[in-house]
Amino acid sequence: MSNSVLSVISRFLEEYTTTTPNRLKVVDAYLLYILLTGALQFLYCLLVGTFPFNSFLSGFISCVGCFILAVCLRIQINPQNKGDFLLLNCREPEEGSL
Amino acid sequence: MHRSWLLGCLVLSLALTGVPGLIPTHYLSLSDVARLQSALGQPFTDLESSYYSIVGLTKLGSAVPDHDEVCRFLKSQLDPMSLDSLFFAAEASNAISGCEIPVSNETRDILLAAVSEDSTMAQIHRAVSALSSLGLPVASQEVVAALTARIKKEDNVMAITLALATAAKLPQQAELGAILEEIEDLTARLDDLGGLYLQFEEGLEATAMFVSVAYSLSDHVDMEPPLKEDQVIQLVNSIFSKKSWDSLSEACSVALAAAALSNNRFHVPVIVSAQGPATVSHSQPTLQLLITDVMSQPLATANVLVESAYAVASKSLILSQAPFTLNDGVFELNFMSSQPASGYYQFTVAVTGDSRLVANHVELKVKVSTEVAVTNMDLSVVDKDQSIGSKTTRVDYPSKSKTPFTADSHQNFAMSFQLVDTNTGVELTPHQTFVRLHNQKTGQEVVFVAEPDAKNVYKFELDTAERKSEFDSMSGTYTLCLIVGDATLDNPILWTVADVVLKFLDEEAPATIQPKTLYVPKPEIQHLFREPEKKPPTVVSNTFTALILSPLLLLLILWLKLGANISNFSFSPSTILFHAGHAAMLGLMYVYWTHLDMFQTLKYLAIIGGVTFLAGNHMLAQKAVKRTEKN
Repeated sequence: MSNSVLSVISRFLEEYTTTTPNRLKVVDAYLLYILLTGALQFLYCLLVGTFPFNSFLSGFISCVGCFILAVCLRIQINPQNKGDFLLLNCREPEEGSL
Repeated sequence: MHRSWLLGCLVLSLALTGVPGLIPTHYLSLSDVARLQSALGQPFTDLESSYYSIVGLTKLGSAVPDHDEVCRFLKSQLDPMSLDSLFFAAEASNAISGCEIPVSNETRDILLAAVSEDSTMAQIHRAVSALSSLGLPVASQEVVAALTARIKKEDNVMAITLALATAAKLPQQAELGAILEEIEDLTARLDDLGGLYLQFEEGLEATAMFVSVAYSLSDHVDMEPPLKEDQVIQLVNSIFSKKSWDSLSEACSVALAAAALSNNRFHVPVIVSAQGPATVSHSQPTLQLLITDVMSQPLATANVLVESAYAVASKSLILSQAPFTLNDGVFELNFMSSQPASGYYQFTVAVTGDSRLVANHVELKVKVSTEVAVTNMDLSVVDKDQSIGSKTTRVDYPSKSKTPFTADSHQNFAMSFQLVDTNTGVELTPHQTFVRLHNQKTGQEVVFVAEPDAKNVYKFELDTAERKSEFDSMSGTYTLCLIVGDATLDNPILWTVADVVLKFLDEEAPATIQPKTLYVPKPEIQHLFREPEKKPPTVVSNTFTALILSPLLLLLILWLKLGANISNFSFSPSTILFHAGHAAMLGLMYVYWTHLDMFQTLKYLAIIGGVTFLAGNHMLAQKAVKRTEKN
């Protein structure tokens, strides 16, 4: 059982690193960062308590907001979604640049 | 406008006659009259104070001592050239008999000259009064004309009152109609205080002067003054509520008002007061009432009648239309002959015999008191499970039971008795029926209430086990007292009935019983400020801060690995401005967190944000241009 899960994960990672363009990977790295930050804040809140509650709310919600905006950006620059966003991203990435 | 309002009020007041209206709450009692006399009778030093004293005392009906001395004083103090001096002397000498002020032609001329439109109202009043007191002829038409003209110019209360006083001195045939109307207008200017008092805002003296002058003028022209009965009573309340007077003129005005109200042709307020407390009992069966005028002089002709007497508790009618008999100046009624039960009775008393009487329907609360006796006092000690029969001991008032009673925790002590009216034999339920147990050794005292049952038999039971907390579980000998009291009882009872030995279980036996301290200072309350919430230890928060910052490191590493770089960074002004603005916004966020409030932050954010937006827009535009150029 775990064997199959592990193999699925490794296959997924392999496909990810090979097929996704660099642009998207940069955004994905940013997304991961935001996710970790938010998750750690939530963990702190669960473990230590909600004092000060305002700080927790502001930190967590700003992480969530940034995450959503970055996800929207990722959807827009994904070349597989080109058909939905004809007027945006008309240019092709240059050589050696994102 | 005044007339129609007055007419409406008259109709309304007619509709309400017969209903007990306002009764005077203040009047001059005999001691008040004596005080007024002593205030007026002080030795006088000048003409003005002599005028007030003499006129006031004469009106009160008391004699002015030593007429000759006074007359000599008046003549010596008189200044024949001064109008005021002539007025005071003339009026004062008129009040004492056998004193004549010499009149010269000059005097007459001065007085007549003062009667004109150009003199003040006070001057006209003094001149006309002096002329009439000295017996000199007065040209009434001139006076009326002068008064009417002055009233228009001097509209205040005192001036119009003086105008009325002047009019009262003129012969009856004079045209006084316009001036009479001023009484109505002045009445309208009175201030109603709480429906009980009616007075001018100028004060007591103005109100008292108005009353005396209004009645003297009304008597003079034989026309009823436009004052309603309630208004008269309100005026009585205002004038006689003050029992010590600031000045001679105030005292004199009160004396004048009192004389006017007790002797005029139209309204005589009557004061009905009980002689002593309004209590009737078997030893004192007559209710005595004093019927007087406002100066506490008994009314010569009066018939006093009880219109109705109701028992307050049962609302049953005891008396109706029962007359009082006059006995040596006091009106008496033998109420006990109607055999009323003890309690309170509401009497409605009517005083008739004179059509001028005002406030002659009075409500009076009369108390009928009686004496109480305790009968059938039975004491017993009952076992709780009632297996052993109780032994009842009868005790007679006022002796004490010889044998003490013992009750321990298995037994109840019981007491039953009846309270009867000694005169009628009716059972009574007084307000206070207490059973007091007093520990002789420790001084403890516990009081219980005995309650009557349906047959009006009082029962008291002491459950030793249940009540031990009130006794602080102190066993010992307690004296049992019965306390009976009520407002309608003439003989409250405090009877030591018996000794009771109480035995309690689990006796703590404190050495001394502290009296229950109720009124000692309580412990001081320290204000507790709001406790700051518990913060987690600094180590934990520092650890987590470091932990939160670690994904940033991860991000940088990942980006470097992916090959993200800033090699394409063009150092154009808009780019720098944009990045600087962005950094400034993040810096502002930190400053907001530490120093600023929202409004300041928004202000700075607007400025920085605007700059950053424009710079960023320019930068992206430049980039797009560069790209299209390349392509």
